[in-house]
Amino acid sequence: MHRPSAEEFLLTLLETLDELPPDLAARVAALLKNDHVDRAAALRQLFEDVTGE
Amino acid sequence: MNEKLHRLVMHAFRGIPSEMTVDFGDGESTVVYGDNGTGKSTIADALEWYFTGEIELLSHEGRQHAVRYVGGDADGITSVEVLTSGTLGGKVLFEAERTPDLFEALRRETFLLRGRTLADFVNKTKTEKWKALVDILGLDAIESLREDLQRARNDLRKASKAVEEEVRVYRRALSETGDTVSEATVLANLQQICGMLGVDPPQSLDQVVEPSWITAAVGASAGVSASSDREGLVADINALADPELDKDAFAAWNKLVSSDRARQLARASLVREAKRLLEAQSIEGGRCPICGQKVDQKVLAKKIESALVEMADAARDLERFRDPILEQADVLESADEQRQSIYDRAKELSLEIPPVPAPPDTPIRDQVEATAPVAIDVFTSYLADVRRWDKAAAKLARQISPAKQSTRDSQLVMLAALCQQIKAWQQAEKKNVRARRALALAETVFDAYQQKQKEDLGSLLTQISGRVAKIYSTLHPGEDLDAVSIEPWTAKGVELAINFYGSRQRPPHGVLSESHLNSLAIALFLAMAATFNEKLGFLILDDVINSFDVEHRGRLAELLADGFTDWQLIVLTHDQQFFEHLSRRAPSWRKIEFTSWSHTSGPRTTKYETSGRLAAARERLQSDDVQGAATKGRRALEELLQEVCEALWAPLPFRRGQANDRREIGELFIGLRRALKEHAKSQLPVVEPIVKHLEADVGATLNVAAHASRGRSGASEVKAALDRIDALDALWSCPACRTRVWHKGTPDAARCRCGKSAFPPVVAG
Repeated sequence: MHRPSAEEFLLTLLETLDELPPDLAARVAALLKNDHVDRAAALRQLFEDVTGE
Repeated sequence: MNEKLHRLVMHAFRGIPSEMTVDFGDGESTVVYGDNGTGKSTIADALEWYFTGEIELLSHEGRQHAVRYVGGDADGITSVEVLTSGTLGGKVLFEAERTPDLFEALRRETFLLRGRTLADFVNKTKTEKWKALVDILGLDAIESLREDLQRARNDLRKASKAVEEEVRVYRRALSETGDTVSEATVLANLQQICGMLGVDPPQSLDQVVEPSWITAAVGASAGVSASSDREGLVADINALADPELDKDAFAAWNKLVSSDRARQLARASLVREAKRLLEAQSIEGGRCPICGQKVDQKVLAKKIESALVEMADAARDLERFRDPILEQADVLESADEQRQSIYDRAKELSLEIPPVPAPPDTPIRDQVEATAPVAIDVFTSYLADVRRWDKAAAKLARQISPAKQSTRDSQLVMLAALCQQIKAWQQAEKKNVRARRALALAETVFDAYQQKQKEDLGSLLTQISGRVAKIYSTLHPGEDLDAVSIEPWTAKGVELAINFYGSRQRPPHGVLSESHLNSLAIALFLAMAATFNEKLGFLILDDVINSFDVEHRGRLAELLADGFTDWQLIVLTHDQQFFEHLSRRAPSWRKIEFTSWSHTSGPRTTKYETSGRLAAARERLQSDDVQGAATKGRRALEELLQEVCEALWAPLPFRRGQANDRREIGELFIGLRRALKEHAKSQLPVVEPIVKHLEADVGATLNVAAHASRGRSGASEVKAALDRIDALDALWSCPACRTRVWHKGTPDAARCRCGKSAFPPVVAG
């Protein structure tokens, strides 16, 4: 059985959700690749950015 | 395709003084039989050490160094070499730096079940079982991302509340009727005021926020700025809201942190800090840097992990009660900031205003951080002081209000202040919309993530449970015990359950015998591997049937032989009946019998290794290790002579116990000659010259002691001796099918598998 990583888990989930900002998944993927950030703060910023644009 | 084992080579490892090779063919299943103490578990040890970096039993006792052969050469190298069907094989040396990549890749793979730790999982507590599952399923990383999403959501919620409060303040200032204010009403009011003052009314609120409109409408007359500042101050004082204390939230928090569970929480930060330190630096010299006591780093890490799991539930409650308290802290901090700002501005305008009451010495955040109760009385008293200050500020606002002035300038100032407020309100409203959108998105993602996590776990548990139940019922058919499953237990626990004569038992310990619990453990092991293994295609079961009766041993043998044909099973057992049962049931499996073990020569098996030892000798020779080649060559010759003597029923004196395995090489030469005289006299002239040469080799070229005294011996001499051993070996093999000439039959009349070679050999003519 394939055990998804946390990143895969979230990205698969995002694909199933309706009416999300179009590039959210791509930006989340880029964010999760960066190990050197405060992930929670970066996610908050991302949510603000994609809904404010 | 998951990787299978092809070959295992152990050198100076555990009970093996020199080298031992176990050949698994192309990944074939193997049953290994041997009495206790014959060294069969060394196979499991070597594979555990290679694939996990440790032998758990040794690490647990702080005896990791015992992977080395005791009494071996101090300079001797302990190593394990594994050849697999894929890329996971390799060679590792004792104390050499190991790459963590392999261990990380295999951390979640299940491959080894030992009799002595058989029921470990079954006997774990609910939270320990959960932790074990979390490890296997890789849920820790998924849980960590959930926590980050939650933090992002909480931060956005907090930010959104702060902006909402800001909007509420402006709405109050702009409307006399409370929170309800619309753009149309504000615009209408503004247009009316402009009309009264003879100023061009704005057509929209967007126009109001344009600096050019304000300048054109109000002008830049002297004194307007200062008056505008006073007006702004008055407006802000009038907009002050009475901060309220949510006493219920404080009471709930105080009750939680005063409970027994809170004491665990107090330790949580300490344990987390210990984990952080342990991950950041290793314990040097195996001693605790604080108390100096001897401690095993892995044992300590496990204890810390276990303590953290225990605290997980309590931490969740803490999280639930903490958020409302922190929101209260936000409210009070925001109220204090507002009043400080009014105080500072009043002072800049040289107005008399009392100092803002100081917040309590023990801020709410400090109490939350310390998981300590909050003194509600202190904050009630503080808010009473704040209300008194608000009254004093309101009195000041009445005194300085330019409403009493009736000049056009003061009315224009009021208009300018109103426009500034409208601008700030419009900006706050926009900020509020953005904050709510961001929060809505964060909540959508977080809620869906949490829901999917729950559903996936439920589905996984159902999947494993189905497999466990099937395997368990194969081992115990017809018994009124069914519906074995792994079930969730609160947010952070799982438990085993079983139907026992119609009643649900969770956990099943109260109703199952030791052997039933062990069956459950085997079922769990096999189900876990079948469900989750992604890389390893082999499973090792080391003496797991001790508590099984004959009938259940038979059922397990059938299950392993018939139910796991896609897997490479390596079954180690000291039970002859189980070995024979498995051998009959799975005739294609390889069989290895460990016959004895001695300190000097290590484990002995019934499998002869002449060709392997000869190949190793030639490798040594190629790398200029002449003495090593001689040692290997001598062992190859012993192996060959033992095999021939056994096959030809060589008449050797009887010896009690295991001594038959360890005869002097001279005795074996005698045995070979006697056997040939008895069964194949015609072959003696062919064999005798080779044997004579080899007897000489044993005394000189293949004599390690002689090598040591003579210094570096000639490689050509050793090579010639190895060639002679090869020649002797070739006499007993069929050139067509490569099997021995005694493959079938007895020493009086035997033949190879294809029948082209016979013993005694057929004499031409």
